[in-house]
Amino acid sequence: MSNPDFRPGSDAQWTDLLRQLGRQANVQPQPFFYTRVHARLAAGQAQATAWLPAWVRRPAYAALLGALVLAVSGDGPAPHPGAPASQYDGYHLSQPMQLAPR
Amino acid sequence: MAYSLLLHATSELPLPAGTSASAADAALVAQLQQGNEAAFRTLVARFQDRVYSTAFSLLRSPEEAEDVAQEVFVEVYQTIGQFRGEAALSTWLYRLATSRALQHQRRQSTRKRFAFFTSLLGFTNNLLPEPPDHAHPQALLEGAQQLQQLQQQISRLPPQQQVAFTLRHEQELSYEEIAAVLGTTVAAVESLLFRARQTLRRHLQPSFRHV
Repeated sequence: MSNPDFRPGSDAQWTDLLRQLGRQANVQPQPFFYTRVHARLAAGQAQATAWLPAWVRRPAYAALLGALVLAVSGDGPAPHPGAPASQYDGYHLSQPMQLAPR
Repeated sequence: MAYSLLLHATSELPLPAGTSASAADAALVAQLQQGNEAAFRTLVARFQDRVYSTAFSLLRSPEEAEDVAQEVFVEVYQTIGQFRGEAALSTWLYRLATSRALQHQRRQSTRKRFAFFTSLLGFTNNLLPEPPDHAHPQALLEGAQQLQQLQQQISRLPPQQQVAFTLRHEQELSYEEIAAVLGTTVAAVESLLFRARQTLRRHLQPSFRHV
């Protein structure tokens, strides 16, 4: 069975086609390429410096908010009362004393 | 890291004369890392054709190739501080150029798919973007048509095969150099090229029959 990929003539055409492809690859950028790269870098730098204050501002806002929360919340949490030592103490501490019936 | 390197303008690039290419590249990198603008200018002048033609081979569009080539040199400028010289400078640049070009390709195909999808849903009345046609009138000739067909088929190859084939047959890199760019072995490159050639010849066979 013959393989069409390896017919005589086909190889020569393939080689010629690859040679043409290689010749086509000799392309160059337009003149003043470096100037355009430099301009792109400068534009990128300008963008970076414009972006920087906004980036810096965000943590400043967060710090300000944190300070505000601390200032509003007071000195600290209220002391939690300890557990009653006995039922009597607990009664006294948590409820007003009832008067004895006459 | 964004723009950590500030280039200092100098009138001359003091590269030692008579040094080998790798030593010259190492000296160039050292000067770039010190922020020497002349070194950056030299780098661009030395590699712009190779980077541009590699991008052009993968994208077949002068505008996109220009864009990719610019991106590559901007990236070099931004990341030269991280370059440790484990690979040759040219290898690094080829790697950047091919990966950026493939990124552009992916973006382009996503855009086309999205345009197709929106046109199906009737979101837009715009026509689908036609693939760029850079055919010269001479392309009407049969040989040029075959070449165009070959270029179309190359663009349909899997990315690794496409890069290997382009670097071999358009940039004329050795198997070792291609392996270094792709970060693989020479045997793997041989396999990629074998499969790429097989696929391309199979697809081009009908047109060969009529010649």
